[in-house]
Amino acid sequence: MTVSRERFDQGMTYDEYKAQMTRNRETLEANERAVEITDADRRAFSRKVSALVLAEDWCGDVVANLPVLGRLAQDTGNVDVRVFLRDKNLDLMEQYLNQGKFQSIPVFVFFDQANDGWRELGHWIERPASVTEKRREERTKIYASDPRFGSPDAPVDQLSADVRAELQGRLVKMRADTAVWANREVLRELGEIVAR
Amino acid sequence: MAPPPKVTITYCAECGYEDETLALARSLMLEFGGSISGIELIPWEGGTFDVSVGGVLVHSMKRDGGFADHGRVKAAVRATLEV
Repeated sequence: MTVSRERFDQGMTYDEYKAQMTRNRETLEANERAVEITDADRRAFSRKVSALVLAEDWCGDVVANLPVLGRLAQDTGNVDVRVFLRDKNLDLMEQYLNQGKFQSIPVFVFFDQANDGWRELGHWIERPASVTEKRREERTKIYASDPRFGSPDAPVDQLSADVRAELQGRLVKMRADTAVWANREVLRELGEIVAR
Repeated sequence: MAPPPKVTITYCAECGYEDETLALARSLMLEFGGSISGIELIPWEGGTFDVSVGGVLVHSMKRDGGFADHGRVKAAVRATLEV
């Protein structure tokens, strides 16, 4: 089962989605401004495609990764983005569960519009595995750099407030430092999907 | 009898989870009053919404998905109080 063209058309445009956000819009738009689209991305998205998105404004991965798609759509003019709120469209979510069981978002589902057709090209969920792995490695290094930080798996409420603040600062900086690379990884994976 | 548990809510401050955090804290305050030793709110990062009761993690956004179900957290508190 796939999503029909008629259902797709009922989704919000990217701008309509942003307009209805109740939180994190400034962060999402700051992330959008930081996305750099290259000529290779433009070549990868040189034909018209449709992208169905499942999102919620409270989700950090949505705030980080939806702007990559949004910026790509704005730059190329070739991606028709329609956003659906996950919690109000669970029938759609059920079709694209992460590992068949998790309601991870964002989900991007690409459709080919060639020759007035409607063919699903593939879908993308949450964040690239490479980003998860890289950040896991960097987190491990940060925790290992200071014995006061304890184990990455231990609840942070067991740390003293001053140690917690220091650790939080290091983790936030690490994510900021890897953001440009992470955006590139997202664009690379999206390009691979539409090349199918 | 076990000492009253403390509930800790660790939430992503960058993600705007304050409303859900305060709603859960309020719900626990109204339900348990002085039966719990405290509610600690910890601003954190990385899309976290974790709830622990007496040091035991009863909800994790990363592990369980989404925000904590109030009923489930209350059940965990009740179970601790009944020990």
